[in-house]
Amino acid sequence: MDSVHDDRAGGAATRVVPERDLLPLKILVAGGFGVGKTTLVGALSEIPPLSTEQQMTSLSDGVDDVSIVPEKTTTTVAMDFGRVTIDDALVLYLFGTPGQSRFWFMWDELVRGAVGAVVLVDLRRIDDCFAAIDYFENRGVPFVVALNGFPGTEGVDDDIVREALAVPPGCPIVHVDARDDASCTAALIVLVEHALARSA
Amino acid sequence: MTVDRRQRPQTDGGRVVPNYAFTAGRTRSAAGTDMPIEALVTATELGVAAAATLSPESRAIVEASREPQSLAEIGALLGVPIGVARVLVSDLAAEDHLAIHLPLVGTDGRPRRELLERLLDGLRAR
Ligand SMILES: Nc1nc2c(ncn2[C@@H]2O[C@H](COP(=O)(O)OP(=O)(O)OP(=O)(O)O)[C@@H](O)[C@H]2O)c(=O)[nH]1
Ligand SMILES: [Mg+2]
Repeated sequence: MDSVHDDRAGGAATRVVPERDLLPLKILVAGGFGVGKTTLVGALSEIPPLSTEQQMTSLSDGVDDVSIVPEKTTTTVAMDFGRVTIDDALVLYLFGTPGQSRFWFMWDELVRGAVGAVVLVDLRRIDDCFAAIDYFENRGVPFVVALNGFPGTEGVDDDIVREALAVPPGCPIVHVDARDDASCTAALIVLVEHALARSA
Repeated sequence: MTVDRRQRPQTDGGRVVPNYAFTAGRTRSAAGTDMPIEALVTATELGVAAAATLSPESRAIVEASREPQSLAEIGALLGVPIGVARVLVSDLAAEDHLAIHLPLVGTDGRPRRELLERLLDGLRAR
C-alpha cells in the first residue's frame, strides 16, 4: 500500500493549506510542582496555554512477560502546552510536563524527536529537579537548567548551583523570569545553541 | 491517506512512516503511537468538501484544521485524551480528509541540524 502522498504525481487530495512544508518541533518544559512551567509556556505562547491529557501505559509491578500477562496500568497525565510560530513552515510546541519523579519512566514517547528540554528550578526547593536532570542526561536529550527568579533566589553563584544540582559539565545554566517573554526566549535560544553544538 | 511525502521510509534505516498508515487507519495497541503529540494536521480539499457529512467530532477536526493544528490542539479542542484524538485523526487521514505533517528527525532521533538553525534564527528574530 502506497500511502504516501506525492504532490508531483497529483494525488487525490490536495492540502488546503497550500505549498507549505509544515514541520512541527517541540521543546519540553520540566520541573517540580509550582516551579513556573505553565507561566513560562504562557509567556512564550501565541495562544493561551491549552491543556491536554495523555494516557500513559505502564506494566504493573512484577510483570515480566507482556505477551503472557498483559496486565497494564494506565495513568492519565495532564500537560499544558503552547505554540510559537517560528516561520511560515516551522511551528514550535512547548509542553509543560508534570514533575513527579514517578512519572519520568513514562516520558520516553513524549521526549522522542524533541529539540530538547528546559528544566525549571526553584532554588528554594531544589529536590524537585533532580529527577528531571537525571532523566534528560541519561537519555542524551539536550537540556538547559533554568533558574526561575523567585524572590530570595537572586545572587546565588552559578558554580555553587552547578555543584548542588549536579548539573553536568557543558550543560548551560540560565536565569529566567518565567513571566517575561524575552527572558524565556533567551533561555530557548541557549537551549537550541546547546542542541546545535551537540549535534555537530 | 495523505502523509507528507518527506516522511517516506528513510534509507538510514529509520522507519518514519507511522504504523497507523498500515492499519486501515485504526489505531490499536501500539499502532499509531508513532504519530507524536506535536504532529500537525491540515484539512484537505476533500475533507473540507465532506465536512458536512462527517460526525460532529470529525467535522470539528476538519474545520479547525483549515489552519494547521497539532494533535495536542485537537485533543484540547475536543476535550479528549491524546490517544482518542490520535484515533480520530488517523481515521480522517485514512479517508484523505486530513493531511498529516510529521516531524523531520535525523538518524539520531533528533531534529535535523538545518531545522535547529532555522529555529534559532526564528527565536532570535522575536
Ligand atoms: N516571582 C515570580 N513568580 C513566578 C514566576 N514564575 C511563576 N511564578 C508564580 O509561581 C506560581 C506557580 O507558577 P506555575 O506556572 O503555575 O507553576 P507550574 O510549574 O506550572 O505549577 P504546577 O503545574 O502546579 O506544577 C504562580 O503563582 C506564578 O505566578 C517568576 O518567574 N517569578
Ligand atoms: Mg502548571
